[in-house]
Amino acid sequence: MNNFELVHPMTVAEASRLLVEGGDTSHAMGGGQDLLGVMKDYIRPVDRVVDLKRIAALKGISYDAKKGLRIGALVTLSEIEQHPIARRQFPAIAEAARSIGSPQIRNVGTLGGNLCQRPRCWYFRNEHVRCLKKGGDKCFAAPDDAENKYHAILGGGPCHIVHPSDLAPALIALGATVSVTGGTAGPRIVPLAEFFTLPSEGSILHETVLKQGEIVTETVVPVTQFASRSTYIKCRERESFDWALSSVAIALDVSGTTIRDVRIVLGGVAPTPWRAKAAEAALRGKSVTDVVAIEAAAKAATVKAEPLAQNEYKVALTQALVRRAAKMVAAGPRVAFETGDGGEPWTA
Amino acid sequence: MADAPTKRRIKVPKVVNGIESIVEIEVDDTAGPQWGNRDQFTLIGKRLPRVDGPDKVTGRARYTHDVRLPGLLYGRILPSSHASAKVATIDTSAAEALPGVRAVIAFAGKQLRYQGDPVAAVAADTPELAEDAIRAIRVKYDVQPHVVDVDTALAAGAASVYTAGNIRAEEPRGDAAATAARLALCAAVVEGEFRTPMQHHSSFETHGVVVDYRGGESATIYASTQGTIGVVGDTARALGLEQGKVVCIVEHMGGGFGAKNGLDLPGSIACQLARKVNRPIHLMLTRSDEFLMGGNRSGSLQRLKLGASADGKLLAMVAEQHKLGGLGGGSQRNQPFMYKVETVYRTMDSVHTNFDSSRAFRAPGCPQPSFAMESILDDLAAKLDMDPIAIRKANISDPVHLRQLDMASEAIGWATGRNKRPGSGQAGPKKCGMGIGISGWGGGGGPSCRVTVTITPDGAVTVGVGSQDLGTGTRTYTAAIVAEEFGLPIKAVRANIGDSRLGNANGSGGSTTAASLAPAVKDAAFNARVAFFARVAPALGAKPEELAASAGKVVSADGKSLTWKQACAALSGTPVVATGQWKIGLSDSGTRGVQAAEVEVDTETGKVRVLRLVGVQDCGLPLNRLAVESQLNGGMIQGLGYALTEGCVVDKVSGLMLNTNFEEYKLPGVMEMPAFTPIIDDNDKRGVIGMAEPATIPTAGVIANAIFNACGVRVRTLPITPDKILAGLAANAKASGGAA
Repeated sequence: MNNFELVHPMTVAEASRLLVEGGDTSHAMGGGQDLLGVMKDYIRPVDRVVDLKRIAALKGISYDAKKGLRIGALVTLSEIEQHPIARRQFPAIAEAARSIGSPQIRNVGTLGGNLCQRPRCWYFRNEHVRCLKKGGDKCFAAPDDAENKYHAILGGGPCHIVHPSDLAPALIALGATVSVTGGTAGPRIVPLAEFFTLPSEGSILHETVLKQGEIVTETVVPVTQFASRSTYIKCRERESFDWALSSVAIALDVSGTTIRDVRIVLGGVAPTPWRAKAAEAALRGKSVTDVVAIEAAAKAATVKAEPLAQNEYKVALTQALVRRAAKMVAAGPRVAFETGDGGEPWTA
Repeated sequence: MADAPTKRRIKVPKVVNGIESIVEIEVDDTAGPQWGNRDQFTLIGKRLPRVDGPDKVTGRARYTHDVRLPGLLYGRILPSSHASAKVATIDTSAAEALPGVRAVIAFAGKQLRYQGDPVAAVAADTPELAEDAIRAIRVKYDVQPHVVDVDTALAAGAASVYTAGNIRAEEPRGDAAATAARLALCAAVVEGEFRTPMQHHSSFETHGVVVDYRGGESATIYASTQGTIGVVGDTARALGLEQGKVVCIVEHMGGGFGAKNGLDLPGSIACQLARKVNRPIHLMLTRSDEFLMGGNRSGSLQRLKLGASADGKLLAMVAEQHKLGGLGGGSQRNQPFMYKVETVYRTMDSVHTNFDSSRAFRAPGCPQPSFAMESILDDLAAKLDMDPIAIRKANISDPVHLRQLDMASEAIGWATGRNKRPGSGQAGPKKCGMGIGISGWGGGGGPSCRVTVTITPDGAVTVGVGSQDLGTGTRTYTAAIVAEEFGLPIKAVRANIGDSRLGNANGSGGSTTAASLAPAVKDAAFNARVAFFARVAPALGAKPEELAASAGKVVSADGKSLTWKQACAALSGTPVVATGQWKIGLSDSGTRGVQAAEVEVDTETGKVRVLRLVGVQDCGLPLNRLAVESQLNGGMIQGLGYALTEGCVVDKVSGLMLNTNFEEYKLPGVMEMPAFTPIIDDNDKRGVIGMAEPATIPTAGVIANAIFNACGVRVRTLPITPDKILAGLAANAKASGGAA
């Protein structure tokens, strides 16, 4: 990788100042699990790395019955995975955390880094390819003779990446917000559902609403009826360490046996975590035992899918995951890794 | 023994670059070392932990990558970023101007035929500087049309990889018309197009050397190689030195699987750099460079048509085989692989693409045809409603295979665990199934190793030979054979290997190391024992032939004994030094194996989980059961990756390889591991035979067949990923008129 300056601010304000001052070749770093790869592979130039790890305010998980679950940006994926309240009351989040990377990566990778990581598209990650995301003039994954089995079936174009985060779909399903600080706009709280941008709307060079100098400081997951009836399931080619071919986060708000409300967010199939609103509508107001409604929701999840040459399989796969996830949460509240509703519940 | 002929000519197998041939040699057939009764071994044939295991897991073991020398420079290669191009201009001035950059080599005007083809190389004070330096080199490429996939390469008007074209055809074999006529008369005929990708060796240590040359007349080269001795000659030529002035050291090496023979590309560039600056050069490929220029198992395209009688006898086959070795010729054994078919018509060619050349890779040329043949055989069995074991038995005659099919069948629980018809198993989305297949390999040895055993008066025993430990446990059995001879614990013997000064040895290819080396070690140990007994017999007041060495003592026929230390002290100052060479009768050739798999297919997600793998393997005398089982498991793991997750992915449009890393080149990991049942076929009472290669031959076909048995989906293109299973399930549903 290129030489760079490594700075260790002690406060968010200082970090933000260093990022603003450094311009767009400066970059914040949590665990570095994505950023160092980006730098080593020469995907984008970075000459100042702002290491956030000494900032105490970004650490720690806490729970408050009124405010909800607060996860600092520097909390590692392992901490989330192992947190007893996350497991018991927010199972989708613990399950999503455990599905990420390998144990080694989870021990170092952070919440903030997981939300802000760059896409894994193997054209984007190839130094010799200058694609749309690197200021080029075409998407190399789009053509019929491209290698696009891992790419988007929903919301793609002109760039066809899928968003790589596993935590994001789970957090969005549970209504999480993120706190953003720094830059010129001042602190703000953004619903995570509005944090990510499609290539067709935001800047194609970025995947989030973050502006230069802005840092994600924490996420807060509210206490809702949804939280404990949630799950995250993920299908990947290699269990040991892999990105999602497709994944589903689902959360139900159930009154008696009636589904009052539902959120379904897909991962691995679109350039952002993808809210499957048509699928939600198919379940809303239905009974938790209504398998016809579940089937309808599964079909509805991919109703707008536009597969590329090699990824039509993601349609059937995503439907299967929605069906399976819906059945798991329909059965009742769950505890991550303990409920025993189908082998290892965090994996499909 | 007295009237046995003293000399005769015999035929032995010989292996060069993984290709086995038979050569005739003269042997002295007087009495000599014998393995003796297996029941009496204390070390050989037991489960022996590796003697160098603690060094390896604690990081004490020094690999080539770890070698550091005074004045060392770090080399780095600039790989071509195009699959086909000519170096138009190359400007190295900025690289040369970087402080700490000591040498730059540019291949101006070079025709580049694959991504990774070296364009330039540098040597610098640190690895980081070397990386900066190659990036400072400005290259202007004349980019030319490339072809990186077989379909394009075969199409009319394709870009030419070589001036002679993309296709190098061999003479067809058999009678096309007669075979077609025979097929027409068959009770059942199946056909299919099979594709296997290029598989990368993925050794944990990348290719490379540290060459210690500072001018002058001699050099030492540390190499990550499968052939310590072979590197010596290559290095001498590259440096312009006499062969006797070059030493090669391979203390430990991190895997080769066929890809690490000779000085190789990084080695020869390291030597060029060393000559330029007269300083030692460390040049190990980066992981990405390893993917681009470290070789691969050639891909294949095979179109097969196979017909049988109603009772499953294979009568006719038409086979169209393409070897896809990139720039290389590729490797693919003839169809029908392992099974007898009465009438065969076969075409075979090499189809070239702009991709790194294929190399030998664990059982070269076998896994590709095995996958296709085992797959189509089960398609035929299904069509005839036959048990896959029954159709196999109907078409092989080897009693070893017949026996091993029963052993594997019993171990996996075939009778009750297999679905009688593909996909006829349990209800619910997850379906289990079983598959089975066979393998065969040479694995014989020959005369190449010279081994020295030394016993010093302080009781120390060392055994030395130039041979390298490819990772198969060479060091451990070398020590064990000597310790066994003297009735000592294994840690009482020090095995010095991986140094060309220690005596000639063959390269590790074709699973020939053990069968070549173990007899020579045994011979040296035997000779050392005879000499040792002659020297210590007087101290026991006995004749040498009345002595035995056992359990740390030297004992005479009348019951007197000395401890090992006491006996060695009787050497009165002069060590015993004995040498040994390969002897006929201590090794053999020709292995057979059978593997069986049980898998679970999630028919909603297309995800395959291998639940169990059973491997039955003969290998003559298993020197170290733990190592043999480990080799068997390792072969099956490599086969599992080949079956389900691995393969080089190359973009047709840009010509670039897209998965030059372990993130997207998906080796199976811990979560992919099934329960393993490695079974050493102890019915085999022959001498030592290598078995590492056959262990990976049938696995992919076996897993593919288990998937077929589980869910009725036949995937003919590796790797068998969820997309292919889902597509197959949808096609089956459509064919049977059901909902997709």
